[in-house]
Amino acid sequence: MKLGVFVNQYTKQNDTLDRLKADKVGIILVQNGVYNATIKEKGVKSSVLDKGTEVYALSEDLQSRGLDPSGIDSKVKVVDYGGLVDLVFNDYEKFIWL
Amino acid sequence: MGKLSIGCFSSLIGSMTLDFAVKLAEAARKKGHDVDIWLSGNGTMLSKKGQRKFQDYSSLEKPVTDLIKGGLTMVACEACAEARGQHKEDLLEGCDRKSMDWYLASCFKADRVIHIGGE
Amino acid sequence: MASKKFLFMVDKLPYKAESSRLALTHAIASQTVDIHLDEDDEMEEPVIAFVGDGVLNCMKGQKALECYGVTSLEMHIKNALLTDIKVLICKEDVERLGLSEDNLIMDAEDIGADMQSEIVPFDDILQQMEKSNHILYF
Repeated sequence: MKLGVFVNQYTKQNDTLDRLKADKVGIILVQNGVYNATIKEKGVKSSVLDKGTEVYALSEDLQSRGLDPSGIDSKVKVVDYGGLVDLVFNDYEKFIWL
Repeated sequence: MGKLSIGCFSSLIGSMTLDFAVKLAEAARKKGHDVDIWLSGNGTMLSKKGQRKFQDYSSLEKPVTDLIKGGLTMVACEACAEARGQHKEDLLEGCDRKSMDWYLASCFKADRVIHIGGE
Repeated sequence: MASKKFLFMVDKLPYKAESSRLALTHAIASQTVDIHLDEDDEMEEPVIAFVGDGVLNCMKGQKALECYGVTSLEMHIKNALLTDIKVLICKEDVERLGLSEDNLIMDAEDIGADMQSEIVPFDDILQQMEKSNHILYF
């Protein structure tokens, strides 16, 4: 299963996310989920970034929150809405919105 | 080209989730994909005409109307809308109202489904 | 036969939000989806899975109708069983919340349903995610 997981919140824990297993899990950070790409609480990066084989962040949601795409974690790939459409159709089969 | 079905259950004002859905739909249409949007629960607010534009609030009537004219299919849950006092005469031009099984059929026919739950 | 599996996953608490109610009503609407499909042999197979705090939707003895005049989630879950929808409840979350079969809606015999709810490990729900064509996460 190639599963795309939209993370739209900045939360410390999500039971479903913690328990997911799939051949390929792509974490797609949107809305307030993009804070996971940049904020390091007490110097520690968000554990959400370790949940996916790939991690993406929506550029429009980074920029609208004053987050500089150049300053995000190196694991995170920045995509715009067009890039997100390509991910949806080409890289993942099913999606959940957390 | 593929077909994308987007289910939206969040409210028009406050969460910006419908803004996300509309921008995603717009990007998908630009790439030639077919897109259905299903509005349910508080998401049915988006199907109401006469939304006044303020810069402090999400304003989606114009982009949605343009998308519908360009081939997007947008349908609101009839029961959810009626429960909120939104009647057929309040519908945005080009938007339709149907029962929940329409959404399931849209998903059935879709290559990809993004179901965005409510708050 | 062209059949597609849909998994309706619920992790939200009941009543404060509409999510779990809409998950159940949408799943039950699978019964009439064929009127919108092109071929006579096309059908949709729904499964509902309650995970995380969402398992609290499955508590029995709900009296929302008596207290607030709204249909309880219990009534919807029983209707789902009546329409032969598979209802899965996550075992790890049932245990974490100090619940057991005694607290949960395990059947709907009172309205004539044969189908029963199943308390299953999260890994079984993952298998349903694998098997399903689409996941509707409420």
